[in-house]
Amino acid sequence: MSWNDWIVLIRLFAPSLKTAAALSLAGSMVGLFVLLRGEALMALALPQVVAIGAAIALRYELEGWKSFPPPIAVALAALVYFVLAKRRGIGAWVLPSFYVAGMCLSFLLIANKGQEVSRMQTLFTGIDVAVTDERALVVPPILLLVAIVCAGLWRRWLLIAQAPAAAELAGLNPRRWDALFLLLLTITTLLGTDSLGIVMVLSMLFLPPATVLPWAQRIPIALVVSGILSLIFLAAGFVLSNQMNWPLSQTIGGVGFVALVISHVLAHVLA
Amino acid sequence: MLIDVRDAVFGYGEREVVRVNALQLRAAQALGIFGPNGAGKTTLVRGLSGLLRPLRGSVQRQAALRIGYLPQYRAIDLNWPMSGLDAALLAISARRRFGWIGSQKRKAREMMERLGVAHLAPKRFATLSGGQQQRILLAGAMASGPQVLILDEPTDGLDVHSREKLLGLLKEFAAAGLAVVMISHEIEDLTCLCDTVARLHPADDPEHPAHVEVITPTMLTLQVTGAAS
Repeated sequence: MSWNDWIVLIRLFAPSLKTAAALSLAGSMVGLFVLLRGEALMALALPQVVAIGAAIALRYELEGWKSFPPPIAVALAALVYFVLAKRRGIGAWVLPSFYVAGMCLSFLLIANKGQEVSRMQTLFTGIDVAVTDERALVVPPILLLVAIVCAGLWRRWLLIAQAPAAAELAGLNPRRWDALFLLLLTITTLLGTDSLGIVMVLSMLFLPPATVLPWAQRIPIALVVSGILSLIFLAAGFVLSNQMNWPLSQTIGGVGFVALVISHVLAHVLA
Repeated sequence: MLIDVRDAVFGYGEREVVRVNALQLRAAQALGIFGPNGAGKTTLVRGLSGLLRPLRGSVQRQAALRIGYLPQYRAIDLNWPMSGLDAALLAISARRRFGWIGSQKRKAREMMERLGVAHLAPKRFATLSGGQQQRILLAGAMASGPQVLILDEPTDGLDVHSREKLLGLLKEFAAAGLAVVMISHEIEDLTCLCDTVARLHPADDPEHPAHVEVITPTMLTLQVTGAAS
């Protein structure tokens, strides 16, 4: 492909690429703390839960902005359920159930509706997703805000994880900060899943931070490198997917996983 | 008087865990908390610090009392990438809006200098020894300027040299006016540092709360060694 062909292609996919870039940054920043806080299961379950809301929207043929409330309502309900379960010490039991429920209920809600089933499969696989211009105006700024808030509060996440008693004595409520973090994660997965599909969200949440962490000395540097890596994965995935005629989300995931393996092997060898 | 407890019972919901007839904490006092596992040491400390309201009785605290907490180095999750300075800034960040440190780094660096761990500021916290980690955390806790410092088994797992060094530093701070509240199983540590010990005696009936006896460290040694012999 010539440079002109690439420019035409980038213009054609501009709304999707813009949204994917914002998701890369938000996902890689939030994902770093997801891994450190040991909340990977929550991150895996949330996109599945969002799919239930998307299925409700499909079932009732809600279009445009009307398609937003069901995924938001379902994600918030799941979040409240999880926070309450966590307080009772059974959070880890609830999350796998969310994962299964998302996979089952989302398809049951649209059973026997061929076109909707096809759209739901698109949401799960991330193949052939396209972001509209309207959505590309709304979603990226929100995701960038999530990235900024998450990165700006890095010392707070560190404190709540390492010395919750010191936080409490200083008048902070660790549970509220936990809930805020989960809210940031929910917004990322909600907007990312609804716009670009589950595969892209999970790739950006897990792969860049997991690639960086074996080398990281401090959190701010890890955040910056994780963000840069996520954009590199996106760019490499975009180029490769077009050259090889592969689906974009899966190509990004594949590129990210190869980088992760190389990073871990090198870290092990050089240690 | 920094903290004054009178006829108080601490617990959760309907469950009474610890009963205290009288317990006071003054500036420059080092109070040890001693008792078997499950007796309610943490509950007592939460009650003293104000994180737990008494079910009955009264707890008076000096207005705007600044209470610091020294996390146990073993409780730190070493998977988090952080430098020695990041670890020292934990306590300060707790009192700053959104955890933003700003010019407060200087205070932590000065305290690290005083405790002889300034050279460890850029090192990765996970690579340091237990004694170094605990001194960095102490520097951070002290840099936040507490009037009362709470410590939970601070010497647990430390070698003899690190233990002596830590207790020596705590003695210095106490002599300078800091009130120390230390939970410990180590009678030697309590004898070395504390002037008063709150010993928890669990009730025979698990339905009833443990009661607190306020004694001297010497009395504690006699009680424990006497019971052992």
